[in-house]
Amino acid sequence: MAHEAIDRLIADGSLWRGPALAQPEGRFEASGWPALDECIGGGWPTGAVCELFSRRHQGLPLLLPLLARLSRGERWLAWVGPPYLPFAPALAAAGVDLQRVLLVQEVDAAQSLWAAEQLLRSPACAVVLAWPARLQPAAIRRLQLAAEQGGGTGMLFRPLRTLERSSHAALRLKVTAIPIGLDVSVLKCRGSRGGHCSLAL
Amino acid sequence: MLWLGLYFPDLPLEIFAAQPPAKQSLAVIGHGREGAQVVRCNAPARARGVRPGQRLQTALSLDGTLQARTRDRRREQDALQGLALWALQFSSHISFEPSLLLLEIGASLRLFGGLDPLLARVRRELPGLEYRACHGVAPVPMAAALLARERPARQVLAMVDLREALADIPVARLTRNERVRGLVRVIGLHTVGECLALPRAELARRAGPGLLQLLDRLQGKVPDPRTPWQPPARFGQTIELQAEIRHHTALVFPARRLLLAACGFLRGRGVATQRLLWSLQHREDLPDTPFQQGLLAPSRDPEHLLALFRERIERVTLAAPVTGMGLEIPDCQPFAEATQTLFAAGPRQDSGLLERLGSRLGDRQVRGLGMCADHRPEYSVDLTPPGQGRATHIPPGQLPAWLLPEPSPLDAASGVPHHGGPLELQEGPRRIESGWWDGVDVARDYYRAVSRAGERLWVFRDRRSGEWFLHGLFD
Repeated sequence: MAHEAIDRLIADGSLWRGPALAQPEGRFEASGWPALDECIGGGWPTGAVCELFSRRHQGLPLLLPLLARLSRGERWLAWVGPPYLPFAPALAAAGVDLQRVLLVQEVDAAQSLWAAEQLLRSPACAVVLAWPARLQPAAIRRLQLAAEQGGGTGMLFRPLRTLERSSHAALRLKVTAIPIGLDVSVLKCRGSRGGHCSLAL
Repeated sequence: MLWLGLYFPDLPLEIFAAQPPAKQSLAVIGHGREGAQVVRCNAPARARGVRPGQRLQTALSLDGTLQARTRDRRREQDALQGLALWALQFSSHISFEPSLLLLEIGASLRLFGGLDPLLARVRRELPGLEYRACHGVAPVPMAAALLARERPARQVLAMVDLREALADIPVARLTRNERVRGLVRVIGLHTVGECLALPRAELARRAGPGLLQLLDRLQGKVPDPRTPWQPPARFGQTIELQAEIRHHTALVFPARRLLLAACGFLRGRGVATQRLLWSLQHREDLPDTPFQQGLLAPSRDPEHLLALFRERIERVTLAAPVTGMGLEIPDCQPFAEATQTLFAAGPRQDSGLLERLGSRLGDRQVRGLGMCADHRPEYSVDLTPPGQGRATHIPPGQLPAWLLPEPSPLDAASGVPHHGGPLELQEGPRRIESGWWDGVDVARDYYRAVSRAGERLWVFRDRRSGEWFLHGLFD
């Protein structure tokens, strides 16, 4: 009985198994921020979904080095329902090849989720950035499964107030704006004890 | 030569049958010498005792709810022509018999890698066409047709095996000619085997020239030329729906039928298409609802096209119930199968991705990101078709990751802009002056500012009015 209950908790993601049990073979892409890499077990996990919680969609600059590197490959960098217009000159200045940027815009919440899942499942997408307003735990699980299939990374930018106790995301970060840049605390990270770092932008 | 006979035993019934199958009992009625008779009936009617050959009155007395439709040979022929469009992928030499297609497949065997792969494809696609079919294979067209009707799934590849395969088929099945059929009853020969066992002179004496000629044709002893059907130059087909459709999801079934036929046609022609023209028909007094389905790359894969259709149809407004559906292919492109497999092999390729997104969300919703050579920030971002965005120039200084679609006015007190408290100006000014040529000229001083909450903002002061605006976000 106890086993069943625990299995159920594991299955729906309510119970998070610590680093000892987590799959250590997870692959990652270096973030370009050495201090951040150290906190998140080497880099952004691939074939997985990450959640970035913040007060107001903060955290995009953390991804710019990653986006710049991935844009030299053949896969798309997809943006699903960004809250504002990505400032193309800033992306170009950060070294992102704009040719690889794919915007999905002016869509409702259900369409965004559908698009994010399609994009994550596709091997043609290296990274999918999404700004979902609300997200059920089951939806995160779907996105996580899609990412495992497609091999890319899902980056979900989420409002701080939606921070639930647990989720299927491989990495969960809290991002706070500070005068010099961004402050990052690791809420959950597969295969790492987590930590905290401040990044100057 | 090798012939494939495809017999559609329930065609007279299936042209009236609703999809998915209804519980309503249905019979197709023909008019013979004995008056109105049941030609075919569906499963609910059979369950109540209705049988083919029964007189209509008997059938109605058995099943009071029986819906009787008069046999419509014109529509049967239309349906058969639709099936022939699909079958073009297997043969360019197709001819018709009632409820039956005859395809010369000897020439296509190499293309398909043998008879089994060819038949596997036939079997795989037939259910989607929603017609039940029986097949027969023989080196003689008449034998292939006869096997399909009388000994379904029988395959005879060599002439030497033909006689044995046909031996126990009743002679009466060789023809619909009543005079010859009557003769057969008189002469006391029942099966094809019995006839062929007789010496030819004896057979000629007893059976007469009519039957002898049929038997010769059956064995391939006399030529039996079949005029090949001349297919239309362009694909176009319409399906009448037996039950009105009110929901998008149900339209997938007729769409699948049309797509299977269309792709069969395209394969037969060695081409593919990038544009499908659909039309939904409604009751007489209402105009059709047309819509297009565009593709990034030519395709003729029914499953791929159906997946895109599912996305596309969601965006079509059904103003009225749908009574019919049409598909036209206005233009075709040459298509090399090898190219497709080459693409499919690449691990990074998913050529259907953008199509799926565009079909479901709309093309305006799926964009690339590019730049315009304009110094005004709001005009420097350009939305392009996916994959076509380019950087034109990189402005100096630190730039915000996000741009507000329009500058948003900020309160200011004693010359200091406020956004949740006074802002601290960290970097700037960077002066931008341009646009006088198109009447939207600007003169602005941009700063990086930090709010009390620690947010880093891109703000500017309009040099003419002195007002402050928020224009971008760094974080």
